[in-house]
This record gives sequence, structure tokens and C-alpha cells, in this order.
Amino acid sequence: MKSPFPSRAFAVFLRDARRELRRRTTLAAVLFFAAAALILISFSLASVALPAGDRAKLNAGVLWILLFFSASSGLPRSFVREEESGTALALRKTAAGEAVLVGKFLFNFLLFLAIAAVAVPLFCLLQSWTPANPWSLAIVLLLSGFGVSFVSTFLSAIVSRAGQKDILFVLTALPLLMPLLLPAVEATAHAAADPAFAAIDPVWKVLLSYDGLATVGGLVLMRFVWEG
Amino acid sequence: MKFEAKGLAKSFAGPPIFRDVSLSAESGLVAVTGRNGSGKSTLLKIFAGLMRPSRGSVDIWSDGRRLAEGERGDAIGWASPELEFIDELTAAENLSLLSRAAGRPKTSGAIAGLLDAFGLARAAHDRRVGEFSSGMKQRVRLAFSLLLEPPVLLWDEPYSNLDQQGIDAARALMNGRRETGVVILATNDRRDIEDADDEVSLS
Repeated sequence: MKSPFPSRAFAVFLRDARRELRRRTTLAAVLFFAAAALILISFSLASVALPAGDRAKLNAGVLWILLFFSASSGLPRSFVREEESGTALALRKTAAGEAVLVGKFLFNFLLFLAIAAVAVPLFCLLQSWTPANPWSLAIVLLLSGFGVSFVSTFLSAIVSRAGQKDILFVLTALPLLMPLLLPAVEATAHAAADPAFAAIDPVWKVLLSYDGLATVGGLVLMRFVWEG
Repeated sequence: MKFEAKGLAKSFAGPPIFRDVSLSAESGLVAVTGRNGSGKSTLLKIFAGLMRPSRGSVDIWSDGRRLAEGERGDAIGWASPELEFIDELTAAENLSLLSRAAGRPKTSGAIAGLLDAFGLARAAHDRRVGEFSSGMKQRVRLAFSLLLEPPVLLWDEPYSNLDQQGIDAARALMNGRRETGVVILATNDRRDIEDADDEVSLS
């Protein structure tokens, strides 16, 4: 009798988390990237004078560029690192693909949230930008971060055994994540400009639907990706 | 319990590296031999379910019932020089988390006992795998193959990098296992398989 699926997925998450806690390379790399981008953005936008509505749209777009590219410097590593170091064979021999996907997604989602927790307040501070409804913004970040993390994890599994992994990841991630990122930018701008929760309606439903479809699709297809 | 492989062939964008490989065993030691590049490691990966054959099938039968894919994976233990563990974790942590990911968690005592059988009792808890010598890593690979207590063991060059103490421990375990299950051993050294019950020779 096997233990339930969540505990198997959690073991995969713990494996990644312990490695990262002892090595800290991924976290350091993404936070360094985010900090560097943040400083560049702050200096370049400091002297731009815009009406409040336009400023919210610009900030929303720039914030998502910052979050997406910072996350992209770390998220694709989850499966690629396993293949490159030879540790994927032990995992493939013991764990089901779906448990591995969910475990690695959990790690990547936490990584995304850690980036957001550092980058978003700093971005707001440096841009002297106060979102009208921080809770709406948090909901948008959670829903979008879920989608970005899940799709990136799944694509990492696909490209991990291919040649030219990095370019392949970018080429496949862009069209797949665009339907998530565009509404995410829109919802972020609404959350920043309007204090009412209704401001992010119905975009949050689009984000939630994307997350649901991506999760179901990824879990159904993972078996074929994992077994090769 | 019966291990059965029928008509296996494998090719990588070219002519097959082997074809029509069949094997049936209920217990004992089966040797897989052949020159370098003849496909011994590839054949063991196909047996282990880590690679799909171009043709043929691998099955395990238990009480007249063919095991489903998930059950078959658990029934086969595999060790190979290609197998690596996370450098930042100890051997015990690596094996513990892998057993939990497999859905068959082992107690720390069971894992300590397994590693102790290969002479790694202390180092398994004190040192990270990244600090291990190549011989110690090989011992962890062999312990990993026994983690889920499988009736079928696939060992690819199991004695490479082992000192005499390690070889003796591995041989003792293998001799015990071949009485009750199937041990399939791929090697280039004829001395390792002098008393094999069957042989698959790849040319």
C-alpha cells in the first residue's frame, strides 16, 4: 500500500527545498537578478512624469517584466538540474511523474512568492507607488504566480532532456505564458488604480481558469513526459 | 515471481544495438555480457523501466498475475554508475526522501541498516554525498537498489570502485538475494559471473 499522493509530492518538494537551503544558489541568483533589474528600472523611470492612470499601467507592466524575468532565471532549473547532475535517474526510478511535477511546482511557487515578497514592496517604495487595493494586488500575484510557476515547471520537465535547453524553454514559455501574463498586467493595473475588489473582476476568473487548465493539462501529460 | 523479457530490441536513430533479446527467470543470477558499447547498460535500463525498447516487452509475474506498470517499477531495484544522488544531502537523507517519494517510506532505522550492510553506517548520517569517495558513492548506489526490497535486482558493473571489503559485502548480499529472487548483473569481468545460472550475451 503506497502512501497518499500529497505525501509523495511533499517528499519531492522537501528534496528540492533541502538542497536549496544548503546551497542557496537558485535563490541568490533570482534575488540578485531582481535587485539589479529593480535598480535599473528605478533610475530609468525616476524622471518620467505621467498622469496617475498611465503611471499605474506602466508600473504594472514593468513590475511583471521584473517578476517574470527574475522567475525565469530560476524556475526552469528544477528539472534541468536533475538531468545535468544525474540525480533524475534515482527520482525517475522511484517516483511517479505527477508527484514529481507537483513537488517541484510547490518549490517553484514558493520561490516565486519569495521573489514577489521582496521585489514588489521594494518596487513600490522606489517608484513611490501605492497600490489602491493591496489585497487585490496580492490575489492577482498569487493567481498569476501559480500559473507562471506551474507552466514553467512543466516546461522544464519537457526541455530538460533536450539540447539547447535555455533557448527551447524561452521559445516554448513565451507563447504558453502570454495568455496569462497579459491579463495579469491588466489586473495589476486595475488593482493599483481602483480600491474596489470589483476592479479585478472578471480578470481574476481568467487567471483562475488558466491555472486550472494548466494544472489539469500538465498532470495528464506529465506521465508521457516523465517516462520518455 | 517471474521476470520475463521477450524479443527486446533497441536502436538510437540507426541500426539496432541489440535485437531479439529474451530472458525468463524465477530466481538465480543472470549475467549480461558483451563488449563495450554492446548495450548492456541500455538493456538493464529497459529492464528497469527507465527506457522504452524499440521492440519487445518486459513483464513481472506474481502469483499468475502480470504486475501493472507502477507495481513493476517497485519490484525492480537498479544500480548503475550513471546513478547520482544529491550532493548537498547525506546518503540517509537521499534514500529516505526517495523512499517517501516512492510512496513506501522507510524508517531511519531501516535505512541505517541498509547502509550499514554496505559499511556506510556512520558516514551516511555525518557526511554529505558530495564529500564521498567514488567507492562510497558506489555503495550508496547498491543500497539504493535494495531500498524498496525488490525481488528483482539489476546491477550494472556493481563492483566498480569498490574496495575488497565492499566487494565482499556486495557479493554476500547478491548471493542471499539470488536464492529468493532474480539478480541480473552486467559486467565485463568474467570472474564476477563464473557461477551464473543463465547468461545473456550481447554481441
